[in-house]
Amino acid sequence: MITFENVSKRFKEGFTSRKVTALDDLTLSVATGEVFGFLGPNGAGKSTSIKILINLIFPDSGRALIGGQDVGNKDVRRLVGFLPENPYFYDYLTAEELLRFGGQASGMDSAAIKQRTDLLLTKVNLDKARRRPLRTYSKGMVQRAGLAMALIHDPQVVILDEPMSGLDPLGRKMVGDIIIELKQAGKTVFFSSHILSDVERFCDRAGIIVGGKLRSVESLDTMMASGATLENVFLAEVDKAGQKEVD
Amino acid sequence: MVKPLFPIAVITFKEGIRNRAIYGISILALFMMLINFLICQMVMRDVGKVAMDIALSTVSFTGLLLVFFVGINLMAKDLDKKTIYMVLARPVSRAQYMVGKFFGMVALIVASNLIQGSFAVVSLFILQRMYANYFLRFSWLMFFLALLFIVLMLILLTALSFLFASFSSTSFIVLVLTIVSYIIGNSLSDVKALVEAPQSVGIHPSPITVKIVQAAYYLFPNLSFFDIKTQAANGLAVSLSCVGWTMLYGFAYTAVALSLACFIFSKREFP
Repeated sequence: MITFENVSKRFKEGFTSRKVTALDDLTLSVATGEVFGFLGPNGAGKSTSIKILINLIFPDSGRALIGGQDVGNKDVRRLVGFLPENPYFYDYLTAEELLRFGGQASGMDSAAIKQRTDLLLTKVNLDKARRRPLRTYSKGMVQRAGLAMALIHDPQVVILDEPMSGLDPLGRKMVGDIIIELKQAGKTVFFSSHILSDVERFCDRAGIIVGGKLRSVESLDTMMASGATLENVFLAEVDKAGQKEVD
Repeated sequence: MVKPLFPIAVITFKEGIRNRAIYGISILALFMMLINFLICQMVMRDVGKVAMDIALSTVSFTGLLLVFFVGINLMAKDLDKKTIYMVLARPVSRAQYMVGKFFGMVALIVASNLIQGSFAVVSLFILQRMYANYFLRFSWLMFFLALLFIVLMLILLTALSFLFASFSSTSFIVLVLTIVSYIIGNSLSDVKALVEAPQSVGIHPSPITVKIVQAAYYLFPNLSFFDIKTQAANGLAVSLSCVGWTMLYGFAYTAVALSLACFIFSKREFP
């Protein structure tokens, strides 16, 4: 369902002509119905990979596909729900208006938008705050509104960039439950996280990326077959890549 | 192609109209219209002309505040705070985002000018009753035409600010470029006339200066076309062909600026 084919991306560093490699020949496939965890230290290339999938940035070489179509085709995003890291929405809109926008922009009709809005706002526990401007929301509430926004059009593929960021334990459990529900509904979930226990709990497979290079892609069972914890596996990969200190 | 424009325009309009700056701008307009009464009482000469001039200048000034401080911020905040991610994550092209945002801003300019314009209408209506003798050459038609031209000028300026936002990294640069364009656009006509007939004022511009001014004249919008406050205040008529050409010029410049903005924006990355 999600495919990266030899994707590389370099960014210019400040005003100099020097370039830093954000992604180096990334090749990866995520099957339909799979929950895939993308792990890596800060600046490893997780968000860059996700932004390429959403077509916010363009690969220098290689290509990324969703459902067999190039991500440059805007219609691909009908299939995709996306929650960015630390989402920020319009200050003066309410959660209800935000979801209406998401539904309309995804081509849904009014009745379907209303039904999904009621369902999702209840699910993310924002039903009582649905008519409050988003600027009055706490960080966790914004994150939950963002999750509802990502799911409004019932997408086949859900891409979550650090979905647990800023959430309290109750919020994390709620997001976890939603990921499990998506998995049961046969949706493909691709999420990046720093929280290894979350990856352990929800993922079928995980990939570890360090310094823009994919170091390991295995099923969780295989990764931890020898009794090692995911943390051990992760730290070993970071160490192998020569990054002694994870910042 | 057109369908996604509507929801983007709606959220842009809602976000803009609920901004507290709008209330501030409206209160300022109301205050200036009240001052209009005071000034007209003090002048007691050409009251109709002064009243019309102040009313239209107020609408124009508050409209500029709206474009500079609400409009530019609406676009720039999307880029600064990455709100644009939630829009571009939908099946929406960058050109659709840009055009939808532009239409939202146009709706905001029209709504704001309706409010400021209605303040102006009320103040002029009362002043007309108070000083009927000074309003003999007053024309509501010219007033509404001047109002329409102010709206067109603000829309053109918005398209220009979108063009600057399509390649600028900060809202401050967009603001500076838009203000500079506004100043140049208003004075270019006079400067061109000066450098092309220097003997009339005794100056000796170099041929390069003349060429630069002539090039700038065709590059920057000539905003003085849209300023018919003097004609409106003096009760002078404006020909139908002049109205038609000015509107055509406004629409054409806006369309070119917006198309260029869409083209640049479609190549831009949002890391």
